[in-house]
Amino acid sequence: MRRLHAALAVLLAGSMLSLPGSALAQERTVKITGFGAKSGVVRVFGINSEAAMKAAAGEINSKGGITLGDGTKAKFAVDFLDDRCNAEEGISVVRRIASTDAFVAVGPTCSNVAESLFGILQKKVGDASDSGLQFPIIADVAAKGGLAKISEWAFRNVPSEFEMYKSLIAWVKKEHPDLKTMYGGVEKDFAHSNATYGVMKGQAEGAGLQVLGTSEWLLNDTTFSTQVRDMKRANADIVAISAHPFTTCGVLKEMARQGVKPKLLIGLTSSSSIETLQGCAKQAEGIIIPTSFAPVTPEAKLAAEQVAKFGGSADLHSAAAYEIMFILKDVIESQKIMAKPDTVQADRNKMRAGLAALKETKGLLGTVGRTADREAIKPYLYVHAKDGSWQVLHKPTL
Amino acid sequence: MDFYLGLIQIIGVHTLLGLSAYCVLLTGQVSLAQAGFFAIGAYVAGILTVLAQWPLIPALAVAAVVSGAVACAVGFPALRVKGLMLVVATVAFGEAVRLFFFNFTYQIQAGVLHLGPHGAEGFRQIRYFPQHGWSTLDVALFIWTVVALVMAGLWWLDHSRIGAVLRAVGEDELAAQSVGINITAVKVSAMTVGGFIAGIGGGIFAHYTTHIEHAQFGVVLATFAIAYPILGGLSNVFGTLLAAVFIQGFLIEGLRFMGDWRNLLFGGLIVLAMNVRPRGLLDAGTTRALRRLFAPRKERSGA
Repeated sequence: MRRLHAALAVLLAGSMLSLPGSALAQERTVKITGFGAKSGVVRVFGINSEAAMKAAAGEINSKGGITLGDGTKAKFAVDFLDDRCNAEEGISVVRRIASTDAFVAVGPTCSNVAESLFGILQKKVGDASDSGLQFPIIADVAAKGGLAKISEWAFRNVPSEFEMYKSLIAWVKKEHPDLKTMYGGVEKDFAHSNATYGVMKGQAEGAGLQVLGTSEWLLNDTTFSTQVRDMKRANADIVAISAHPFTTCGVLKEMARQGVKPKLLIGLTSSSSIETLQGCAKQAEGIIIPTSFAPVTPEAKLAAEQVAKFGGSADLHSAAAYEIMFILKDVIESQKIMAKPDTVQADRNKMRAGLAALKETKGLLGTVGRTADREAIKPYLYVHAKDGSWQVLHKPTL
Repeated sequence: MDFYLGLIQIIGVHTLLGLSAYCVLLTGQVSLAQAGFFAIGAYVAGILTVLAQWPLIPALAVAAVVSGAVACAVGFPALRVKGLMLVVATVAFGEAVRLFFFNFTYQIQAGVLHLGPHGAEGFRQIRYFPQHGWSTLDVALFIWTVVALVMAGLWWLDHSRIGAVLRAVGEDELAAQSVGINITAVKVSAMTVGGFIAGIGGGIFAHYTTHIEHAQFGVVLATFAIAYPILGGLSNVFGTLLAAVFIQGFLIEGLRFMGDWRNLLFGGLIVLAMNVRPRGLLDAGTTRALRRLFAPRKERSGA
């Protein structure tokens, strides 16, 4: 028996000695859960967001991780849940995340999911009569304008498409004064595409362009001959397509088949992605799109490389997810978030307050402004498809 | 806990949707119009609580009556056709309703906000539950009270002469007609009751999701509506409930941890369930066995 005790003592001492002093305290992990569409037509957005969040977490962890409120160091871990771009599932996913120790969630992909999700959150902070969920959510992809207004617990790091298209249309008018007419195409059943087409059309009319008509199709459509025939009949100088890569490519291919060659093509922000080039690089040649991401700065180049390592592609949406992880790190440190099971609600309140207090954040293209209604004012530029890649066409002075 | 209560809410609303199709299926008709009635209920109830500031229960009652009335009106022409033609007719109706709401805009100014349905962008801010301080538990209890009432009503219907008439029409129309049953009246009544229940379900759905839009009420939802009673079995109302738990609780939520594999398994498990239990998860045989198991010994011995 004495021998057994001695052996145990030796083993224990050995194991203690083998640990470096700093590791005697257990290394802590802060799990950040993202959610979005990883199935269906828009699944690529979820895949890219997950890769971007993991890439950013890897970057942060490799530089020492995050410092929590009690001074301990922690590493980020990323989990990502699929909501299938379905509002009911989105609500369920967020309730699932909120039932854990999480103090923030990142997502969703689809604006229709964000509409519902932000609706179940408490509208005004501190309103005791409102039983909405008190849990901060920061959106990376859901791009329909003004969504964060729905709740004071909702935040977004997505660009203002209103500003982007206002600027782009003004630039087009200045650079191409000969172009007088525009024809629109819209993926009518997708909230983001539909809302953004309203912006494009409004800005075009405001800038004095004559809008000759609009063709409509649905997100799951695969044939576009009727819509393109109408487009051909209108014979407009500019064709503006407010649709995601899948139907944008379908329309562009049909335009090529029917010989529709406008003098200028404008696309939706979400289509300035690798999917468009993979699907129809030849037909997309020349299309101009405003975007809040291009690998034009050292930070953006690094982010693009890191995201690729995690099996994703950096575009304006996944770049936002990448940036969010750095924003969360800053807020955790500035608000002294503890990330302990007994401080969950306090941490959520601190996270919300910290996000709301931000006036600007560091973005991959430069400084990102924050508005009082919890939206981002992101730097942007115009890219065009050229020789099978996205190339910077113009960088507006903001 | 909130997560499970939220899941219970979802299961409750989908049970109502399934029960709306159950009524119609009892008469042997396959209707894919339930998503349309569900949509009508959602929009009507949402408009009444958000724009007219009505309390929830009267809003749900009106939503149910409007959906039921539309179902009755649709029932007359639609039920003149049978089988696959009825499926096509009801899909067409469901799509017509969806496209109506796709184009329907009716907004009012409330301070800086515009409230009300806004075409393809949907109808946001249907926040009756949080605005009135309802906790997740309150909402779950409310939904399940409604589900229990509807199930009790259908159970009674099923065990009354009316239920026998519905099933008689479902089993053999010709035989039912030959004993003097008015087939059209029975089918339209079943459709109306189904529309009424779908209207209640849709109204509650709008309020727990807080935002509705046309895309939520498409063919996929219509397929789910008939899948619940078919998968669950038509022997009694509990089959639909069991199927809603199986699909929403297990296949959708329970398998979420499987990531991308979940969608593959989803279809596979439904096919498997239908092969293993071709008459439904809770068929007549299982119901009899359960009754024997839980019945008092005296009753079992026939005393």
